[in-house]
Amino acid sequence: MKKSQIQIGETIAVLFVFFILVAVGFIFYAMVIKGNIGSEQDEASQLRAIGIAQRAMFLPELQCSKDVITEETDCIDILKLKTAEVLMKQRQNEIYYYDMFEFSEINITQIYPQITGLDKSQWTIYSRKRQNSPKFITNIPVSLYDSITKTYRFGILSVETFSK
Amino acid sequence: MLKKRGMEIQFNWIFVLVAGAAILLFFTSLVVKQRGVSETSAKATVLKSMEAIIIGTSVSTDTIKTINMPNSNIEIGCNRVSVGGISRQYQNLILFAPGLIKGNKLIAQTLPFNVPYKATNLLFMTNPQVRYIIIGSNDFARDVYGSLPSNLKKEIYLSPPAIKNENNYKIRFIVFDNSVNNIDLKSFPDSDVTALRIIGNKEKGTIEFYQENENRLLSQGQLPYITKSALIGAVYSDTKDLYECSMKNVFSRLRLTTDIYRGRTDKMIEEIGRSEEMRRSNRQAQCNQYSTASRELTKISAASSVFNNENINKISEAAEILINANDDAKKNSCPLIY
Repeated sequence: MKKSQIQIGETIAVLFVFFILVAVGFIFYAMVIKGNIGSEQDEASQLRAIGIAQRAMFLPELQCSKDVITEETDCIDILKLKTAEVLMKQRQNEIYYYDMFEFSEINITQIYPQITGLDKSQWTIYSRKRQNSPKFITNIPVSLYDSITKTYRFGILSVETFSK
Repeated sequence: MLKKRGMEIQFNWIFVLVAGAAILLFFTSLVVKQRGVSETSAKATVLKSMEAIIIGTSVSTDTIKTINMPNSNIEIGCNRVSVGGISRQYQNLILFAPGLIKGNKLIAQTLPFNVPYKATNLLFMTNPQVRYIIIGSNDFARDVYGSLPSNLKKEIYLSPPAIKNENNYKIRFIVFDNSVNNIDLKSFPDSDVTALRIIGNKEKGTIEFYQENENRLLSQGQLPYITKSALIGAVYSDTKDLYECSMKNVFSRLRLTTDIYRGRTDKMIEEIGRSEEMRRSNRQAQCNQYSTASRELTKISAASSVFNNENINKISEAAEILINANDDAKKNSCPLIY
């Protein structure tokens, strides 16, 4: 073998080792990036869940109102809730609320006093589930206001958000 | 022999050059790609922040926030927010803002849309670099001036003054009289100048949109408004289309909220009729405002299907009756309509 051929062979070997090292570096970098993307996706899903819960909490369709001046926070009007349960599920309104709540389920449950007899203690105002998808659950304590008897009850607003 | 050796050396150099060029090319393309990714990711971050602001601020009423952001150009369209080439499309976005928000600061304000019950929050956004010049001598002009955030670049004059150019990228005149054509635009050659002429009061009225063209303000058409909050929305939106788009979305929201109130009122009629306690205390006769309220709510729901002047008048009339019915309910200690 000639000297020059050996030299070329050496250069090729060096380049080969160099590119192998670059490839190993890339694989490592891609793995780190993949991990970051995963955690970013998790964070985005959690933020989305909080956003949806916030939207549900401050929905004028549910919120207690006493004239325009006073607006009670963390309070849901039971009569509004009963109407919203029917109205929000109507086909023509589904798309509107999908833009707000995406893939989620919103339930309001009365905790105290416990309901006896035929009265309902749980209302599902929105439900669009996603099968085999991780979900986040946000529970918010709320007052449930009965405007006829002018009494308050205690309940939980539960928002289940399904990841994309 | 010497000739052959010379060729070997040349080949070596060519090989080194090709290999070096390949390595350089590889790393250059990597850097260029990474730069593109970083730019896109920065734009996506701004867009994500915008989304968080839209959610966060639109749930709370009567708030003003100044938000620091990376320096960017945010384009606001009908149901669309874009940063660079990245867009986020919405089904029903209630956001009143100029078509372009430039810079690293955002001013966000929210006001409720009450007709007379709260139908939704109106979200307004702008930049401290946008200059708002209000021209008017009445209390309404002063009221609108007072409703705008204090950290906004705003001024109020009794009549069109000689205005100095302060290098703002957008200038918006809000005129409460007939002086739109008396505004001197020669000092703003590089700015995007628009104007809004208001004909009406706090409750309702008409607004005319103007756009500068060759140092003259040309009318882009008229649209109605209902409530001061919607009028403030028109102040922030610099085009007729942006205002109309958001108002159509407000009206869709109004229809849904009104249907809830109507359903609630009908349930009230049923429950009051059944209530033993109310029968005993003889309050059933006093609490008779709900049938009227239900009728008026039906009218509002029907009128909120299309955003136009005629429907705004219908909503305004029905709202008056609802206010009286709610006051009656309050006086008689009956459950409130809203």
